[in-house]
Amino acid sequence: MHPFLNRRNFLGHTATGLGGIALAHLLGREQASAKTPIRPNIQPANPNAPRLPHFEARAKRVLMIFCSGAVSQIDTFDYKPELIKRHGQPMPGAEGLVTFQGQQGNLTKSPWEFRPKGQSGKMVSDLVPHLGALADEMCFIHSLTGKTNTHGPGENFMATGFTLDGFPSMGAWATYALGSENDELPAYVAVPDPRGAPQSAGNFWGPGFLPAAFQGTDFNATQPLRNLSRPSAFSPATDRATREFLATLNRHHLEKFPGDSELAARISSYELAARMQLSVPEVADLSSEPKHILKMYGADAAGNPVQDLKAAYARNCILARRLVEKGVRFVQVFNGAYQTGGEGVSNWDGHKALEEQYVKHGIVMDQPTAALLTDLKQRGLLADTLVVWCTEFGRMPTFQKGASGRDHNPSGFTAWLAGAGVKKGFSYGATDEFGYKAVENVATVYDFHATILDVLGLNHEQLSFYHNGIERRLTDVHGKVIREMLL
Amino acid sequence: MPLPSPTALRRLFSALAALLALPLAQAQNPDLNFYQKSVRPILEEHCFDCHGPDKQKNKLRLDTTLGILKGGESGEPLLLAGHSAESYLLKRVTSKNPKEMMPPKGARLGEAQVQILRQWIDSGGQLPGAQEAAGELRIKTTHWSFQPVQRPTPPALEASFGNNAIDRFVLEKLRQEGLQPSPRAEPRTLIRRLYLVMHGMPPTPAEVEEYIADKDPDAWERLVDRVLASPRYGERWARHWMDVVRYADTDGFERNAERKSAYPYRDYLIESFNADKPYPQFIKEQLAGDMLGTDRATGFLVAGPYDSVKSGDPNLTLMQRQEELADMVNTTGTAFLGLTMGCARCHNHKFDPILQKDYYAMQAVFAGVQMGERPLREMLDAPKREAVVALKAQEQRQKSELEVLKRKAASVPEPVAAGKGNERPAVSAARNEDAFEPREASAIRFTILATNGAEACLDELEVFDAEGRNVALAANGGKASASGTLPGYAIHQLAHLNDGKFGNAHSWIANSKGTGWVQIDFPAKVRVAKVVWGRDRNALLSDRLVTQYKIEASSEPGQWQQVGSSEGRRAGINPSGANAFLAKLSPQDGAAARKLQADILTIQEQITAAEHSAWVGKFAANPVRTHRLYRGEPLQQREAVAPDALSVLGTLGLDVDAPDAQRRMKFAEWVASADNPLTSRVLVNRLWHYVFGNGLVDTPSDLGLNGSRPTHPELLDWLADEFVQRGWSIKQMQRLLLLSATFQQGSAPRPDAQKRDADGRLLWRYTPRRLEAEAIRDSMLAVSGALDLKMGGAGFYLLDVVRENVRHYFPKEKYTPEEYRRMVYLFRVRAAQDGVFGAFDCPDGGSVMAKRSRSNTPLQALNLFNSTFVGGQGEILLQRLQAEAGAQSEEQVQLAFRLFYARPPDAYELERSQALIQEHGLLSFVRALYNTSEFLFVF
Repeated sequence: MHPFLNRRNFLGHTATGLGGIALAHLLGREQASAKTPIRPNIQPANPNAPRLPHFEARAKRVLMIFCSGAVSQIDTFDYKPELIKRHGQPMPGAEGLVTFQGQQGNLTKSPWEFRPKGQSGKMVSDLVPHLGALADEMCFIHSLTGKTNTHGPGENFMATGFTLDGFPSMGAWATYALGSENDELPAYVAVPDPRGAPQSAGNFWGPGFLPAAFQGTDFNATQPLRNLSRPSAFSPATDRATREFLATLNRHHLEKFPGDSELAARISSYELAARMQLSVPEVADLSSEPKHILKMYGADAAGNPVQDLKAAYARNCILARRLVEKGVRFVQVFNGAYQTGGEGVSNWDGHKALEEQYVKHGIVMDQPTAALLTDLKQRGLLADTLVVWCTEFGRMPTFQKGASGRDHNPSGFTAWLAGAGVKKGFSYGATDEFGYKAVENVATVYDFHATILDVLGLNHEQLSFYHNGIERRLTDVHGKVIREMLL
Repeated sequence: MPLPSPTALRRLFSALAALLALPLAQAQNPDLNFYQKSVRPILEEHCFDCHGPDKQKNKLRLDTTLGILKGGESGEPLLLAGHSAESYLLKRVTSKNPKEMMPPKGARLGEAQVQILRQWIDSGGQLPGAQEAAGELRIKTTHWSFQPVQRPTPPALEASFGNNAIDRFVLEKLRQEGLQPSPRAEPRTLIRRLYLVMHGMPPTPAEVEEYIADKDPDAWERLVDRVLASPRYGERWARHWMDVVRYADTDGFERNAERKSAYPYRDYLIESFNADKPYPQFIKEQLAGDMLGTDRATGFLVAGPYDSVKSGDPNLTLMQRQEELADMVNTTGTAFLGLTMGCARCHNHKFDPILQKDYYAMQAVFAGVQMGERPLREMLDAPKREAVVALKAQEQRQKSELEVLKRKAASVPEPVAAGKGNERPAVSAARNEDAFEPREASAIRFTILATNGAEACLDELEVFDAEGRNVALAANGGKASASGTLPGYAIHQLAHLNDGKFGNAHSWIANSKGTGWVQIDFPAKVRVAKVVWGRDRNALLSDRLVTQYKIEASSEPGQWQQVGSSEGRRAGINPSGANAFLAKLSPQDGAAARKLQADILTIQEQITAAEHSAWVGKFAANPVRTHRLYRGEPLQQREAVAPDALSVLGTLGLDVDAPDAQRRMKFAEWVASADNPLTSRVLVNRLWHYVFGNGLVDTPSDLGLNGSRPTHPELLDWLADEFVQRGWSIKQMQRLLLLSATFQQGSAPRPDAQKRDADGRLLWRYTPRRLEAEAIRDSMLAVSGALDLKMGGAGFYLLDVVRENVRHYFPKEKYTPEEYRRMVYLFRVRAAQDGVFGAFDCPDGGSVMAKRSRSNTPLQALNLFNSTFVGGQGEILLQRLQAEAGAQSEEQVQLAFRLFYARPPDAYELERSQALIQEHGLLSFVRALYNTSEFLFVF
């Protein structure tokens, strides 16, 4: 049997177990049944066939932009006049404070000016002017809190809801629940940064203990999907004939096992693969994109390494839009990769030379990401797509002692949502006067995840998978939907 | 083992009695009257609505004595008699935190009411009927898996079906459901099934033909014995166990460093399965092999992920350690006991009879285990062992000789006194003194102005008062602070600056190159006279040495006066402080000493190499005490917990401070006992799972209340008992399974049976299933003939590695015969997957994987149809077919079908195959075969 196809009904099976239960006094049984798991009905022949959400969804799909290395909220979206005023002074209460790399220097304002943007007047820094111009589209959350101040566990946490390795990513949960609307493309695509994978690597799009059918497929505009193309040893005609011969043998064999769903699934997986071989190169081929679109994203940038990088990231953003257009359920775009060439060089980990490094990261991330949002909007895709921009944690309002950069800070950081189901030009929660700790409407990453699932029409307490004796969820045993951010 | 053991009862009871100081004559007890008259009405007024007869939120009930004694789900005792301030009841009713305060809504307790509760608890917290209630408190369960294994008698059935007891249980159940078993499968199907299940590779055509030709009635039996005796068997079954113990060859997390010495544990597993090691021995070795002559086996304890990025944040560091221990507890719980211990980390288990205390008791068992490497003593054969002994003796001799020379030097007076007018010696990596006029100070600061490269390292900063007492020492109240600490190294921490421990392993490193400062604050003003500092007092390292510095003292906050500096020191670096004595020796003695030093280093290297250190964990002989943690939070320590077994099943009777060795050995003996009702059941169910594709309990790592019920409870118990009767022999149990008619049934579907039991859980046929990633890859290599059967040793890579301070892994696109070994020898990387077989639900060791998913996805199809790996195997196979079957396509097809499917092609298949070969070549034909369902499935 398929372990994931014919999951026993949880209640049914525990009910049969009840006969054996008469725990004396110390342990009772959970009475509540409000969190009864809702098991997706997965067809063996097409595990990613579309499935209904738990309730009416606001968005059909998610586009997540993840910035690796911990983007400083202080230098982007979390405007703090008091920090500017007290620039150069010690942060009250920070005397004995030891963060990830050590002790704190003085409060340090952002090297970038903040200006009011759009109708909402949202203050956004000059580091991200293009994104700032779209502030009216965004629904900010400034009061996110994490559980760790280390990149690997932090990225695991944002990706899977657990700081540890081994858990399914958010996209895997979403496709497990909902399947895909497009059976010619992978249901879940991760588009890694041109510089490489994020710091938690494959965990970001891994299936954890969910079936491999729900893992993200990783490719980007520079690195095509592995094993997609026909080996050069075979002509197209031979390739086709071989495929037909294979189907013949498989069908002939299936006659001995009529109705066997797993064998039927095997056959249809080859049919899906054949369609994918046509549709993936098509969606990844940007040559049909007009000049003005390339220009809008900054894909025409060139001239120095930073501009080249911007162009490569911009192409990933265009690819992401094309995937969204095709109805891929969950698309992840990564900005920043694992640490290479030193701290903060290849990602947002600005410990020592924040201004010098962020200038480059701002150029690479800002225009292409903003263009992606604009493009989705002009094509009407924001109506049923939820855009999520996030990072693993925030940074300190102080500079590190003896350095010109900010240390890790999971006590209060910023992310934003845009598109289907969420408020526009809205900000939720706040950090203290310096941008250090979340103090108003304090929210957890679990809440953030619960909210995203809710927009997809999924109850985060009921979307679960039985693994090693535990009904596992994206939100573990926590999480509360942040209704205030939703329309 | 009785349930629960009398010892457990006595212990629990005496603890309660002590807690409550139970009075015998309760009626005359004024305190009881106080409870009835004054305390209970308060509880009734404020608490009973949610914690009373009608509702028991968080399983807490306050209207009965038993309920109060039990406490709620949190695992916190409500009352600590005589200590109202520490009592959870008081904490909750007096809390100001809106998330904690009780009652959460409505009127809060008045001050007078709180006072009554205080008074009650402080005077002993008497409750009516406490003694009787205490008797009820012990944890009990009637859940099947916790009951002693009872050997049932196999049903007596008259039937043509059946070879052994297994079949009688199966047949009875089938008959009850109105079903019949399937007829025996074809011999070719059977031999292929046997090899795939037991070896993870198909039989060779010769093996098939030999079996087909064998007309003896015991042909199958002899075949089974041959298969069990093959070394391929151990490779297959060790891989299953590696799933269960979340084995991988890298650390995981952000750095994901390679563990190049993890594989000896994998080899231990293969050898153990091949040797049919009795299961109790197998268990004990993995938990306590260091005491049983199998150092490799304790790789079990530390096979899980390891977060090696350390920071100065103490809470984070504690949490990381908690996670390491949780991994050991959870894996031990699932692997051997089939229990989900992790559920009791923050509160009492919601389903199973596991208290929060039980979780920490098991955590205490592993409190002495540290991630890391240890020498493998059993890898030393006699000559090697003798060599190590000889080397160590030689090292000792050389050291004593050196010591003689050092003492000689020590008797020579210092050549130059430090001080004004004289040039002071250059800085030394080992030890430097800066003496000054004694003065009052509340703090000393040491500022780094330059180093000989990179961030400065100090292993100790000592500040001596006029009496020669080191006032900087943390033990003497000195408090260290610094400009910053290089992150990520447990051995380089600020706390090491004044911990009194010398050497690189207990040092501090600045987080900025060539600059930084450290400061020691004294608890009160002291007269200080001298600062002594070094980079490595053991004089092994001399990098990161401070070459220019200043020392300042402060007597008033914010006011600093310089008291010393590098000024006046000779330029450069004193060869090494530890070598300073050389200068005092005669040239002849000096040369001898240098040679001794060089020899000692060489010998030490030789010892390390000879000892075979491997990733099998390190042990602290006397572990720190384990405490129960409120809600699992490391900073919320509660009472100390002794290492112990699950209280529902017994006790180890160990002290809270028992030595590590005793903890693990006693615990292992408890797990490996025939009296433990879980151990044998869990293992025979796993064997069933891997042989039949699904366990009798289809949640093989959870035999608790949340897991499935067994489909054949009597059969499971019979097997569990038979296992013990047969000396815990895994091979004998597998033999029993394989000889059963149940195993040998055909796999064809039958509509009547499918209607009643689509999943085949009642065993009316042998249910087909897709092979695992490893079996597919191994089979591909086997049929192409490329397979390299080299056993053991370092693993091969399917990922290219870029080694920065974090490791990056990229799937290989090109393959060499290096990679043609069985996949159990793959260097398995966490959070990264092989580009071909990763898509086949291949676990990466992130967590225990007792039961793999079996997806069928288009990516799998693409990987098998287009990858360079499968393409490469196709070309090797092509040559094999041509070499062994000649140039005729008919013979080629004949051989290929026998290799792939253990059968000849039928006429239709032969005709279609020949047509393809004629039109598109032999390579296309083999490419297709590698992708066929029949090849990828076991039937």
